[in-house]
Amino acid sequence: MNGRPEQFSAQPNELLVERLRDGLGLTGTKVGCDTGQCGTCVVQLDGRSVKSCLILTASAAGSEVATIEGVTTAGGELTGLQEALRQEHGTQCGFCTPGMVMALGELVDSTAGGEAPTEPEIREWLTGNLCRCTGYHSVVRGVQRACAAARAEAPAGSAAAGQEA
Amino acid sequence: MTTATGESALQENGILGKPLDSREDPQLLRGEATYVGDIDLPGTAHMAILGSPVAHAKILSIETKAAEQLPGVLKVATAADFTDVMPLPCIWIPGGVESHFPPHPYGLPGARPVLTGDTVRHVGDPIAVVVAETPRQAAAALAAIAVEYEPLPVVTRADEALAEGAPQLHEAVPGNLNAYWTCGDKDRTDAAIAEAEVTVELDLVNQRTINSPIEPRGAVGDYNAATGEYTLYASTQGPHNHRFLLSALVLGIPFNKLRVIAPTVGGSFGTKGYLYPDMALVLLLSKALGRPVKWVDTRTGLMNSTVQGRDHRQHVVLAGTRDGRITAVRCTSYANLGAYPSTIGPGVATALMGRSISGMYDIDAAFCEVYAAFTNTVSLGAQRGSGRAEAAFLMERLVDRYASEIGMDPAVVRRKNLVPTEKFPYDNGLGWTYDSGNYQLNFDRAIELSGYADMPARKAEARTRGKRLGVGIATYVAICGVGPSTRMSKEGMLGGTWESANVRVHPTGEVTVTVGSASTGQSHGTVFAQVAADELGIDPAQVQVYEGDTLKAPYGQGTYGSRSYSMAAPAVALTARKIKAKLVKAGAVFLGIPEDKVVYEGGKVFEEGNAENTKTFAELAMAMWYGWGLPPEIEPALDETTHFDPPDFNYPFGTHVAVVEVDELTGETEVVAYTAVDDAGNIGNPKVVLGQIEGSIVHGLGQALMEAAEYDENGLLVSADLNHYALPRATDAPFFSLDKTCTPSPHNPLGAKGAGEIATVPPAAAVVNAVVDALSDLGVTHIDMPLTPEKVWRRLRGEAQ
Repeated sequence: MNGRPEQFSAQPNELLVERLRDGLGLTGTKVGCDTGQCGTCVVQLDGRSVKSCLILTASAAGSEVATIEGVTTAGGELTGLQEALRQEHGTQCGFCTPGMVMALGELVDSTAGGEAPTEPEIREWLTGNLCRCTGYHSVVRGVQRACAAARAEAPAGSAAAGQEA
Repeated sequence: MTTATGESALQENGILGKPLDSREDPQLLRGEATYVGDIDLPGTAHMAILGSPVAHAKILSIETKAAEQLPGVLKVATAADFTDVMPLPCIWIPGGVESHFPPHPYGLPGARPVLTGDTVRHVGDPIAVVVAETPRQAAAALAAIAVEYEPLPVVTRADEALAEGAPQLHEAVPGNLNAYWTCGDKDRTDAAIAEAEVTVELDLVNQRTINSPIEPRGAVGDYNAATGEYTLYASTQGPHNHRFLLSALVLGIPFNKLRVIAPTVGGSFGTKGYLYPDMALVLLLSKALGRPVKWVDTRTGLMNSTVQGRDHRQHVVLAGTRDGRITAVRCTSYANLGAYPSTIGPGVATALMGRSISGMYDIDAAFCEVYAAFTNTVSLGAQRGSGRAEAAFLMERLVDRYASEIGMDPAVVRRKNLVPTEKFPYDNGLGWTYDSGNYQLNFDRAIELSGYADMPARKAEARTRGKRLGVGIATYVAICGVGPSTRMSKEGMLGGTWESANVRVHPTGEVTVTVGSASTGQSHGTVFAQVAADELGIDPAQVQVYEGDTLKAPYGQGTYGSRSYSMAAPAVALTARKIKAKLVKAGAVFLGIPEDKVVYEGGKVFEEGNAENTKTFAELAMAMWYGWGLPPEIEPALDETTHFDPPDFNYPFGTHVAVVEVDELTGETEVVAYTAVDDAGNIGNPKVVLGQIEGSIVHGLGQALMEAAEYDENGLLVSADLNHYALPRATDAPFFSLDKTCTPSPHNPLGAKGAGEIATVPPAAAVVNAVVDALSDLGVTHIDMPLTPEKVWRRLRGEAQ
């Protein structure tokens, strides 16, 4: 869990998001819809973004789980993606924001050493996350900015910049 | 200030009007902000609510014993446990307060009890609650409560609820009619319509929609037996208002023993300003159990309990001349209030809609009547753009219909009827007096920016790709900045509608601003700091803003109707001016000069013509803290408060142009370009407002294209989760072309007008106008929202609506 081993026993029907929020106190991950539609509960499982309200805790055993708390240290430096979203004000109420950061990190990471995603690709990537405040535009601009920064910073052929998760 | 220049009147070198980064963003991006669901007080028990599974029935019996014996269950409560608790008040009485008050605002017919004991009136109507050690145990125990129902007939449409023989919801409300409300001049309007060269009519359904903030509502109650004090943490946009309503009107506890705290709130769009049973229940149950009690809603729970929006069925008529001059507009509307009157729902359905129907047009005769009815659906409330969006929709559909009837370009018809600039302040004949506006400038800018002149060529090009291109224009005026209090009392509001701010300068020169408003994502901490810093001539980084805790913040009514920047921010500015005035007086003492020689500028005072004789803001703050050498007429310290009650509302406005492509084969509508030119007067932080404008437009597109709260014939909400209720996603809108004009309001010291939700007002009309334009050669004159591909596909094939 965020690079630290965690050992516990879970009920067979316990959802990963319940373990994160109620069991481990990692409340940065949110619950918005209960049906896997809104994306506020997105975390990364072995480096891939997943909706933690659709995954049983038991099925995540042995995997590496990264949550928003693992992306930055408390009160610490923002990642490239977070900084870009800050500059574009890609947040309003902020409830969907951690899930978006977790979902978009994978996209930004993958572009550092490759092609930058197009606007339609970014929007397609975002369809798993609902936001009612921003209308997504500032988020899309933030991702464009983050991808540009990641490409500018990354040595050729590397896929390093951006997310630490 | 009243002169419309089209440009901001703000100082070029000021801090106000600059797109500062939102200081709230870093903690939101790190997931560190605390929402209600994240609050974990020691010893917390968890509450779940049993909502009715049927829309209308008598409750014959409730059996709770089995539930009480389940593991972890601490208490099961029903209406019988709360007989001394008053129903939830409705504080907006259409037609004015005088006829209803006294005797008691909470004695209104049809008011909702905290739990229903005898008759359930909508699916989700709360019947019982369970408190248990864990949320899962509480939820599981709901299934063990046995309720016996005797079904009653169901009605879910306002017009049908008013018909002879319709099912009756409340004994005290014969015929289900909450209010018959009118505005404007009926005789004059009827005469103008009878004499008109041209009349057009439409029957419109402004469908019910669900606001769907991404954070469902939640509440934590914490009773302190030692002090007798209650604390409520709630996802609320009006903590002071909720404190007042809950303590004085519902629970009957002293006002000064209830503290309401709004932590970070995950969106609201109007819904979280309402009083809900759960807010009272967590407090009552915390006292009963001696433990904090927490409740967080599910998405389905939200959709069956949190107020819903819009929901009018209307017959509308417009009259005009053959050469394009509108002479009258009339609206008869059947508004669906749901099963109970929500906190201000009846006002949304009547005044907010009806008084706005003539929009940006100078019309001689206008009349609106609303029949507001109870039905077996969730209570009606505000929704981003509430009332104003419904009004703009009917007017802008009518203008297009009229333009088509007389064979004139809809842009030309609109331009011809805009209220002329020299007519402000403009009495619209429906009850609003518009403060200021330059509608021609705004309209022309939008038309030009949208490339309106190129549309015929674009239509022809689209046809070669199997697409029908349509263009739709919609203009609007949005009443914002509610109060003044006296005006709102005439409107039927049981409560003041002023806003307040406190500015405290600390001995070290840092400043704390507290406001009665409460953010639901509008960056108040950033923007109010800009206002104070701009007035005081200091760095915004020196200013910290607090709000949302009734123990710490001065009174205020909260964030709704796009009022924070034109109500709370002026309160901040006026308070900062009091601080400045005091510093000028004290500066005369400290500088040893007469007061009229003291200049306050750039965060310091100095002697006119002698800048050497000066004291900085920090020096003054320390000197005022010590209070040494002050004459008796100057009190030590710098701590001022203002309660701002404006002389009248303010009226932002704008013009939006939607361009859509309808796929000939699938009926799918794609918004391919969208232009919006809005005028919100002087803007405090353009970056923050840009986000609100963009989000608002997408919200409006949602109503036009996909959103609908669908009830079946049994009153079951079949769109009760996000698998069945469509919200716009990132692929549903292109980037927008945005611009603004600036007509400062004379009704507040910042020249501000509401901004937060105004851009939700016109998009539904613009998009429907565009789709009807795309299909006009097929004889299509109207399509009801939402414009789903199937609905449009059927119209493409000539099927009737």
